[in-house]
Amino acid sequence: MIFSELYSAYYNTVARLVEQILQGNATNDVVHKTICDNAFEESVVSILHAIREERWQVITKDYRTPLKHVPTMPLTTLQRRWLKSILGDKRIRLFDVHVDGLDDVEPLFCDDYRIYDSCSDGDNYDDPEYVARFRLILHALYNKLPLKAEMVNRNGKPVFVVFVPQRIEYSAKDDKFRVITSGPRYAATLNVGRITRCRLYNGSLNTSVATHQPRRVVVKLLVKDERNALERTMLHFAHFEKQVERVNEDTYRLAIWYDSEDQSEMVVRVLSFGPLVEVVEPTEFRQQIVQRLKKQLSCGLK
Amino acid sequence: MAYSELIKNFEKIRAYMREFYVYGFKSREDYDGKSLRSYDDERRRMESWLGKHMRFVRTPEGKSMFISIDSRTSNHNPLYNALKAKSFTDGDITLHFALFDVLHDDSIALTLPQIMEAIDTEYLSHFDSPMLFDESTLRKKLKEYVAEGIVVCKKVGKRMVYSRAPDVACSNLADALDFYSEVAPCGVVGSFLHDKQGSHSEAFVFKHHYITSAIDSQVLCMLLVAMQSKSIVSVQNLSRKDNEPRRARIVPLRVLVSVQNGRQYLVGYEPDFNSIRSFRIDYLSNVKVEEPWPTFDQLRQRLDEMQQHMWGVGCHHNLSKSQRLEHVEFVIRVEEGEDYIVRRLYREKRIGRVEQIDKSTYKFVADVYESSELMPWIRSFVCRLVQLNFSNRTLENRLKRDVKKMYAMYGVEGGEDNDI
Repeated sequence: MIFSELYSAYYNTVARLVEQILQGNATNDVVHKTICDNAFEESVVSILHAIREERWQVITKDYRTPLKHVPTMPLTTLQRRWLKSILGDKRIRLFDVHVDGLDDVEPLFCDDYRIYDSCSDGDNYDDPEYVARFRLILHALYNKLPLKAEMVNRNGKPVFVVFVPQRIEYSAKDDKFRVITSGPRYAATLNVGRITRCRLYNGSLNTSVATHQPRRVVVKLLVKDERNALERTMLHFAHFEKQVERVNEDTYRLAIWYDSEDQSEMVVRVLSFGPLVEVVEPTEFRQQIVQRLKKQLSCGLK
Repeated sequence: MAYSELIKNFEKIRAYMREFYVYGFKSREDYDGKSLRSYDDERRRMESWLGKHMRFVRTPEGKSMFISIDSRTSNHNPLYNALKAKSFTDGDITLHFALFDVLHDDSIALTLPQIMEAIDTEYLSHFDSPMLFDESTLRKKLKEYVAEGIVVCKKVGKRMVYSRAPDVACSNLADALDFYSEVAPCGVVGSFLHDKQGSHSEAFVFKHHYITSAIDSQVLCMLLVAMQSKSIVSVQNLSRKDNEPRRARIVPLRVLVSVQNGRQYLVGYEPDFNSIRSFRIDYLSNVKVEEPWPTFDQLRQRLDEMQQHMWGVGCHHNLSKSQRLEHVEFVIRVEEGEDYIVRRLYREKRIGRVEQIDKSTYKFVADVYESSELMPWIRSFVCRLVQLNFSNRTLENRLKRDVKKMYAMYGVEGGEDNDI
């Protein structure tokens, strides 16, 4: 069903090649680039070979085609059902999507699928003002326009920021969107949910604009493979760039690269593995664990 | 057989991809039970599909290949490429493009011989050695495409005529596809739709983004299909204990997904044991949707009730017996200016309740199927744990021992004597 040649990189590539031929653009360079852009690293060899041998009777060896139309394929039932499902998701209202022709289609999933461990204070997608602000941010991002936003800071006081949105980041764990910004004074990541008002900024950004530059740092851990800790650790940290090596029969050394802004979160995540994961370096990270353990000592837990 | 970067069966590569992505420390010789040639072929395929994401490291044990992806920096899940590498025959691709060129508009309706005639005369004749298709091959292809929903057939008089399925009118879909192809179940389907759209500038990146489940999309899709038709499935389940797959019959009730480790579980009813339990989807394969199950709605309702006491996915419950729950309580100390810790309790608790005991202490209380599932969360409050009270004393003692071991591990003085 999902694993079908209908969705394959090769079928897509051939469709693009035919399109180039029908538009009269099929030079050797264009053909080569089209394959590289749409298929895999080694595909150039196999696709060109098939064309030269005229094994796929869609494109001749001298880059002509008997097809008369740019290739298109209707949506499969699977694609329709998936689309119907996402149209039922509350976040869809963030996007100004219009789809017609799915009235008689059964969704692929509704209440059949649940995330059980996301935080309960996610963004409020039912709020029309949130939706309007989100769409404005997206519009400004694509058009590189500055925005002026009012936010509530940690002390509950209003603050104003001027920024140009660079990216919108979503965390499924927090169920929140954040906007990664550049700005006249500093670059920051702002929670969309904390923005209370937002409008296009008419003033000029005449100072140099700072851009968001994440600083990647590494933490090195020793993982003791008891209680299935190796698998749990590797899955838990799977979304980071990481490297693991075996130290001995049941111990593994794991290096994880993460954004330095997330260190507090990383400390909590490492702590959740208890004595099965030990921080080796950097010392500063290890010290944070030590400090927490010292504080625990004073809690009088019996 | 000559090497090809395309594959016919996804199951074999699925196992390799999990090993390379989740672990990535094994050398070629560690893949026991698999031939070295097979290992080399699969590794080469992954290198072709994943490019820069395939890495290697040399250790005294040999060269270890692994997949390393910082998913926060990728707009799209690179593992989807593996699901776009299905092999096909020369006849498949030729018929596909010729057929949709003949049926280029949904108002065109032709009989099988008419399509055959058009393909022969208008397409294949352009080649020096034209392919020959018989009617049964074309009929089979049309039947396959009718099942996929891309061709429709209807009887006109005594003749069956075929046309392309009417298209779905979509606008402004690009951003939604960028987003949902990464966060929705079977997101790879969104990626297939994205491929049809062509490139555009991208706005979204993703944090805490687990991409491993991509390789389980086929299994997940079949389970979702089964649940929509309220049907039982037969499935191969790899047992972790004996490492052998066993065939199981399960009424799938709900898929539960963790956004804190990326695991996907099926919670289902096993008629053979009259019990509801969870199964890891990455251990399932070869799903076959069978007949509708008459008590599906009641079982789903039962699961809804059970979920009031499920911290995670632990729920093994024999429906012939009464439900046994475990009690979990813990108290934490919160200092002045640490309101964010209290907020953490509320935002991270999935079930149960939080009670304020006094100005600086808060208690969490829940009755659950598996108290062990709360251990990682409770450990994340180390530095403020004041009291534990579990009905499962073994587990409570283990948690206390864990803290004690951490004192020793980090050389925290006095831990052995003064605490716990």
